[in-house]
Amino acid sequence: MHTLNQFLLRLADAGVDFVVIGGYAGVLHGSSLVTRNLEICAVLTEANVAQLRRVLAELHPKHRLTPQALSFLDTPPPGTPLDNLYLRTDWGTVDILSRVLGVGDFERLKRQAESFVLESKRIRLIALDDLIRAKEALGREKDLLAAKELRAIAALRAKDDS
Amino acid sequence: MSSATDAITEAERAGFDLSLVEHSLTLTPAERAREHDGALALVLELERIRDERHAHPQSISPASR
Repeated sequence: MHTLNQFLLRLADAGVDFVVIGGYAGVLHGSSLVTRNLEICAVLTEANVAQLRRVLAELHPKHRLTPQALSFLDTPPPGTPLDNLYLRTDWGTVDILSRVLGVGDFERLKRQAESFVLESKRIRLIALDDLIRAKEALGREKDLLAAKELRAIAALRAKDDS
Repeated sequence: MSSATDAITEAERAGFDLSLVEHSLTLTPAERAREHDGALALVLELERIRDERHAHPQSISPASR
């Protein structure tokens, strides 16, 4: 089995510029919830999409929300504007969003992002306050529940810092 | 009550075991990632066993009835 860490490292090794968001960002901040997919925020320019195609090619990426599971390698054609990608690969699912509801686009996320080192690679991580904002903006029951734990994490962190 | 205390109380009321969070906060993000990958591997293995049992249900032996 390939892990979410390996997925992160593959993207970082290839020089993809991204910020980890979603449930896995919660885990990295200290959440006890288990998640099975990786969500990142990145700028989906034509050049970046081409880079993602090269990085993911061996992992047989498919659009997981299309009934025919179309290959990401040739769909959509180069140059098609993209906001988000929802992919299933041999290593698991990865969602790539160009902006995060309630927070903003990649540049906004990157400005506030925290970072950590994973096997000598620096990985950017959405700031805890931004992640809480994003979870609450989504408004789904599971996100609101996750936000409650994240708020407790923020409180415990603040207590440790004081 | 402070908002920090409120947040902790609310998370506990929602069912979170904050001792797990407190443990997690003693780790680095990279260590949290490794612990999570172990937990996810366990979840996936349990799912695999469940699916296998659904695919090949075992008959109940008379002695165990």
